[in-house]
Amino acid sequence: MTSKNVHMKIGEMKTSTGLVKNLELSIGKIVDDSWTEPMGPTPMPSISTLRDWDMKLLNKYKPFYMPDCDLCCLCTFGKCDLTAGKRGACGLDIAAQSSRIVLIAASIGAATHTAHARHMVDHLIEKYGRNFPLDVGGLNIKVEAPVTRLVTGIRPENLGDLDEVLEYCETQITHCLSAAHTGQEGSNLDFESKAFHAGRIDQVGMEVADIAQVSALDFPKADPEAPLIEMGIGTVDTSKPVIMCIGHNVVPSVGIIDYMKESKLDGKMEVVGLCCTAFDNTRYYDRAKIVGPISWQLRFVRGGFADVVVLDEQCIRTDIFNEAERVRAPVIAASEKNCMGFKNRTNDPADEIVADLVSGKATGVLILDPEKVGEVAVKVAKQIAPIRKKYRVLPTIEEIIALAKTCRQCNLCQRSCPQDLQIPAALKAAAEGNLAPLTDLYESCIGCGRCEEACPVKLQIHSYIVKAGEKFMIEETNFCRSGRGAVQDVEIRNVGSPIVLGEIPGILAVVGCSNYPKGGKDVYDICREFASRRYIVVTSGCSAMSAGSYKNSEGKTLYEEFPGGFEAGGVLNVGSCVANSHIAGAAIKVANIFAKRNLRGNYEEIADYIHNRLGAVGLAWGAYSQKAASIAAGFWSLGVPVLVGPHGSKYRRMLLGRADKPENWEVYDARTGDKVNVGPAPEHLFQTVETPQEAMVQIAKLCIRPNDTWKGRSIKLSHYIDLHKRHYGCMPQDLHLFVRTMADVPMTMKDEVTKILEAKGWKETVIPDPTLLPRMIRKKKE
Amino acid sequence: MSMFKDIPVDVGVIYEGERIRRNDMQVELGGPTMKEKFELAKVRTPDEIEDGKVIIIGPDIKDLKEGGAYPLGILVEAAGKTLDQGLEGVIERRIHGYMNYIEGFMHLNQRYDIWIRLGKKSFQKGLNSFEYIGKVLYRLFKSELPIIEKVQITFITDPAKIKEMYPVALQEYEARDAKARGLKDEEVDKFYGCVLCQSFAPSHVCVITPQRYSNCGAISWFDGRASASIDPKGPVFEIERGEVLNAEKGEFAGVNEAVKKRTLGEVNQVWFYTAFDHPHTSCGCFEAVAFYIPEVDGFGVVNRSFKGTTVNGLPFSTLADSTAGGRQIDGFHGMSIEYMRSKKFLSADGGWNRVVWLPKEVKERVKDFIPADIVDKIATEENAQNIDALKAFLKEKNHPVVARWTAEAPAAEEAGAEAKEEEGAMVPVATAATLPIMAGGFKIILKDAKIYAKKVIVRSMKDEKKS
Repeated sequence: MTSKNVHMKIGEMKTSTGLVKNLELSIGKIVDDSWTEPMGPTPMPSISTLRDWDMKLLNKYKPFYMPDCDLCCLCTFGKCDLTAGKRGACGLDIAAQSSRIVLIAASIGAATHTAHARHMVDHLIEKYGRNFPLDVGGLNIKVEAPVTRLVTGIRPENLGDLDEVLEYCETQITHCLSAAHTGQEGSNLDFESKAFHAGRIDQVGMEVADIAQVSALDFPKADPEAPLIEMGIGTVDTSKPVIMCIGHNVVPSVGIIDYMKESKLDGKMEVVGLCCTAFDNTRYYDRAKIVGPISWQLRFVRGGFADVVVLDEQCIRTDIFNEAERVRAPVIAASEKNCMGFKNRTNDPADEIVADLVSGKATGVLILDPEKVGEVAVKVAKQIAPIRKKYRVLPTIEEIIALAKTCRQCNLCQRSCPQDLQIPAALKAAAEGNLAPLTDLYESCIGCGRCEEACPVKLQIHSYIVKAGEKFMIEETNFCRSGRGAVQDVEIRNVGSPIVLGEIPGILAVVGCSNYPKGGKDVYDICREFASRRYIVVTSGCSAMSAGSYKNSEGKTLYEEFPGGFEAGGVLNVGSCVANSHIAGAAIKVANIFAKRNLRGNYEEIADYIHNRLGAVGLAWGAYSQKAASIAAGFWSLGVPVLVGPHGSKYRRMLLGRADKPENWEVYDARTGDKVNVGPAPEHLFQTVETPQEAMVQIAKLCIRPNDTWKGRSIKLSHYIDLHKRHYGCMPQDLHLFVRTMADVPMTMKDEVTKILEAKGWKETVIPDPTLLPRMIRKKKE
Repeated sequence: MSMFKDIPVDVGVIYEGERIRRNDMQVELGGPTMKEKFELAKVRTPDEIEDGKVIIIGPDIKDLKEGGAYPLGILVEAAGKTLDQGLEGVIERRIHGYMNYIEGFMHLNQRYDIWIRLGKKSFQKGLNSFEYIGKVLYRLFKSELPIIEKVQITFITDPAKIKEMYPVALQEYEARDAKARGLKDEEVDKFYGCVLCQSFAPSHVCVITPQRYSNCGAISWFDGRASASIDPKGPVFEIERGEVLNAEKGEFAGVNEAVKKRTLGEVNQVWFYTAFDHPHTSCGCFEAVAFYIPEVDGFGVVNRSFKGTTVNGLPFSTLADSTAGGRQIDGFHGMSIEYMRSKKFLSADGGWNRVVWLPKEVKERVKDFIPADIVDKIATEENAQNIDALKAFLKEKNHPVVARWTAEAPAAEEAGAEAKEEEGAMVPVATAATLPIMAGGFKIILKDAKIYAKKVIVRSMKDEKKS
């Protein structure tokens, strides 16, 4: 608890030690430091405090640049050509420029989450007061804010405490971003280190946003049995007025849901969400529905389902207003960050705004008061639904056939399609009356609409795909578990022994957006594969939706098939983007719970612990945004490897380890101080993978850590070998790098593995107590 | 899969968690519908058995009707120079693990409770005989447990033969249990240490004795013995018990030495049978924690799955946090549920006579091991949810600790002071503002002074003392 600007005046005071007259005391800030955990070395790190740690990782995992663009166009000296080792007018080369873009992306991401948190916290403080207590999991959670404790050294107890945490984040993001100005930082590795820093701050910002909303809005609190939520366009009752919320910030939706309940209209209308707002709506109100990931925006609006579209912030199609206008659905923008050019009607009487929107006098409005948003949205939906009658702009099949005949087969649509979908062929078939190829595209289409922009004859290609796939669309009736929030301390204790004994071979976090190369099924397949192998599978955001969008042979979705706890074979959805912080939080808590390591301001030691011990891997199969970049950066700086799907290559660089260089894989054995070669474990810190099969093999391999017990290692290797054989058709040839003693060799594969070991001249080594930090070498006590 | 080339299906640990649903099953063996079923390991002399022989008594898998359920008995007979009957349980439990490695083959439970299902797909691939199952077991036993020199495996599906063998198996289990429970720490010269958890808790070491299971509840003294003999350099290792330094507290010279070495001197002395002074340490995955309640001079016990607050107002997560990371914390003791069934359970502190509170679920599980005269005197969450209610309950039932309340007042006071210190951290710290003028024995007079501070950090006095 902190107090600010304290003034005290004492006229006269006699004490045994002295006499005080007219003492005036003015204190800028009083920090109540009653938390007995000693402060670690790096509370509230600046942009350079953890540079040494970052460099340790960056030397182990050297950036491998894949510039998306060889030019820099940021200042008026440019454009500068940075090809073939050339430097620009400011002196930067392509490596520094690429890493600078990484820093900019990570800073934008961190700023976005932190600004989201700032809005959330300010709003909740206004509504509930600074002293409203934080509660993320009741009695089952002792460490309420692991990331915040670790990075800032603050233990927040109430909403007001989050204010100070955010002030720190805001300062740091400003510094990070400033370093990207022309003529500031010059070294690519320093840009990278600052990007890591942005990632650390991002994790704090996300955590603040989520623990604030979980506490004040009474979301599920670390609940493995958070309710199953209906998901998919097919679950929406279109006979009712439908309010569609897009974005990430639940505050306006809360206004809608509250007003709807107050006016006893719940059950009489549908509140549906797209992207992360959908999750937070369901965490607040379990009868809210999830339409699907961010990429479903166009299909839902053009399909005419939405009677009112409410926009909050982040990942919203900025042309959604034009789309909504086409189907006569009014739009309410509800965030300062996203005013969309609308007139600010915040101070107008609600009924006036309602009348304007229903009559069509206004097609979109800006309302910055969430309660007013609620009233207007509910009233407009109720009044306009009978008028709109779910007016839609999807063509009929006959129209598609006729329009497809005008296609010139210029191929521009396919060239502009991020997934390289074979649109021209599908249109050709459609022109001949065969819609099947068009229908096939429905599954893989991510709904960006670039095909339509590219089309010289202005064909509404996306609408054709949606119409052709309508049957699937209407049949989309799945379940997604509502975001459960944090992982309980007790759950972590429960998995201690099975992780040590290898019964749980690793933790896979499947997170991020829906820019998938071939639809969401890959996400489902990967999650199911690893849950069946008794890994712990954690999901969040749009990936959590895709994971729930398919069914097994018994008609059960992933969330019905597997338990929702942090346990072997569990599939747990933590929630929206900002709930990602709980994944890092769980990793951080492991160090606290099992090794009793202090968290407070102790970043480097804990990251070193996680990096060397915790077999966790992040997979962002469809990552597209700057937020995804900053989330990944937060994991990199903790030393947790992250995989991205093929589009992730556009983040411009990978952080790759070199398995062929033994000197890169030495750690200290904290017991003896000896340097021990532990092999490439984990091999990479950030890697792009092309296919789900490649992803699966890499996931299994990247769960390997230097501290693995022989039991754990042998089981991890079994999965790696099995997946490798399945998907590459042969034994992996790098096994000798991961076997330390013969006990590591999977018992059912001894003959085959021994052959490889012999061929590679393998030698036995020891299992150390691994650390990259010389100061962690333990001194023998006598 | 060259090791299992002649087996029609894949064999690997990746199949371990595989479940076979009724619709997908070819046959069920044992399971809830079969009254008589068993699996049993016996140590034999080398000339009694034939190495690698698989015997099938009764119809083989291919002769069983699809979708049907049948009784089953599995007998694993092993021989080896260093094998003795004490290892039969360890060998027997491997059957479960190994069988589950077979693709499309599910094995649940153990002993007289086995439940096996074979999947249709694997049957169709050719897994239609116990011969294959026997081969897999044989090869894994031989390659994983080098102390087994010969092993012969028998599958029995003939109901008459099962009827005959079943009571024999039950007797074996009973005798084994009685022997295991009867084995005393003083009667053996070797204990076993386990540092598996050092991968996450680098300064913790578990010591496993006949009367003290590992904290996680997963490793008994017999398991330890087996692991250490199979892999002497592995994480489970032999400890020469050494001289008994303190029989009451459970202090042994060899244990102190081993623990000192393995913790690099962090811990030098361990007392097994007490939660005070030098208690056995914990990593984080203990099943339960005993915690001292100074107000009643007794112990509460809480297990991991207990939701809610314990009688002293703290939940498991907070209490557990007090003992982890290999530290010795007075009054806190991480342990397994099985340890509560041991005669040495906190024996130096009074054993069950000192336990005043435990969750109902745990009480049910260990009821048979609580002395009959005390069992009803121990409160659960149903009897007491706070200290006052607990005191009243204990008084009413005349729990043995009540007698200590007057006799040992100082002990309670001392511990009370410790609890207070914790509370001290919560006291508002504004009074500390007078600190700066207390310096050095001088009389300081401040007149019309204005003091500006950008930031004042207020720490409780306890921190200062500590650092």
